[in-house]
Amino acid sequence: MPQTILIVEDEFLIAMDLQLRLEAHGWRVVGPAATIRDALELVEQEPPDVALLDVHLGDQLITPVAECLKARGIPFAVASAFDWPERVGGDVLAGVPNAGKPTSERRLLSALKQLTGE
Amino acid sequence: MEELYRILRTGHVQTQGIVDTIADPMVVLDSSLCVQNASRSFFETFQVFRDETIGQRLTDLGNGQWNIPELQRLLGDVIPKSTAVINYEVTHDFPSIGRRTMLLTARTLFHPDGASHSLLLVFSDATDRMARDRAKDMLFGELRHRMKNLLGVVQSLARQTPIEGRTAEEYRDSLLGRLGALIDSEDLAFAEQGELGVEQLLERTFAPYASGGANTVIEPGPPVQLGPRTVMSLSLVLHELTTNAAKYGALSDPEGQVRVRWQVEDGKLHLHWAESGGPAVSAPTATGYGTQLIQSTVSYNLGGTVELDYPQGGFQAEIVVPLGTASQSE
Repeated sequence: MPQTILIVEDEFLIAMDLQLRLEAHGWRVVGPAATIRDALELVEQEPPDVALLDVHLGDQLITPVAECLKARGIPFAVASAFDWPERVGGDVLAGVPNAGKPTSERRLLSALKQLTGE
Repeated sequence: MEELYRILRTGHVQTQGIVDTIADPMVVLDSSLCVQNASRSFFETFQVFRDETIGQRLTDLGNGQWNIPELQRLLGDVIPKSTAVINYEVTHDFPSIGRRTMLLTARTLFHPDGASHSLLLVFSDATDRMARDRAKDMLFGELRHRMKNLLGVVQSLARQTPIEGRTAEEYRDSLLGRLGALIDSEDLAFAEQGELGVEQLLERTFAPYASGGANTVIEPGPPVQLGPRTVMSLSLVLHELTTNAAKYGALSDPEGQVRVRWQVEDGKLHLHWAESGGPAVSAPTATGYGTQLIQSTVSYNLGGTVELDYPQGGFQAEIVVPLGTASQSE
């Protein structure tokens, strides 16, 4: 059984890029979701093993999704251009692995490693 | 005696001249913090009169508008311990001019008799400059964020533009075409407000093909303002449509024509693309990357729908985008 990962990212091209790369590393992708509503719905219907989140979705912040994942004990990372995502997205993002944006292969894999503890 | 008086008087007039020449408001205080003198710009800036100012204690001036705890601390604690204080920041609500942030520079002048001193105090109003700095910082943060997003998109296009069955040159041209659409949308995103519309975007997209002929027709439509992200998505979509038309559709034939019209209905932008006069059309057997890009960009990024039709007379597309997203400044 491959591990599942939820991708939340509002730019289709970036979401697609992450999806193809994660699939190449053997992950099964849930989503991608472009909005808070879609993301929360996916967490409900198809709880993933881990999640990779963009911090800004249009003019919305990812915070509600991060809080929902935290409450369910689902580990998550962000893929954010911000060096300090918690300064925009709140405490729930403090200390969370950041795969960066644009996302390099090295940072993506290192963030996933932190999530799975492998 | 008369000569000495003349010299002193000249000195005084010169001193007052120097004080008045200084652009920033300035006061001279004696050792008990009473105003000995003040510059013209002090009276102008704080809207007070000379008569009600000279000889008063600074803290009593203008109904106590100078009774500022930070200023008292500066005058009472900081100044006595140092000869000069430079750009000490004080923010205060002044009754006459409102909330301002002042940078105070103070210098103690010791008199030759050694028994007394006076204090030069210069106020530099930094309110507007600091507001500008904050606005600049915000803009810089936004730009940095957008640039990184843009680089992420470029990275994705480079990885996903197909390579199977194509030469390196074909791959390069196809990638450069898509990057061109991004560059156009960036240009438009920085254009003046009011120039960020559907018509401008269409004109940009068609510019390389508008070689004097009537191959592309943009029907006049209502003005629609687009946010920068929407412009980027639509620019990519229109680029794919145009490239397809140039490769397989109406723009591959000198007699062919692309006609675009748009309207706004129920808060949605309806964009209609119709080709005619090109080679006979049949629906493709497999969905190419370009078509996938069109469909996903419209539905995923813009929350809209796209319908692609392949009647024999010419390819047609109907794109519907909610203006809630299309008109947002994002």
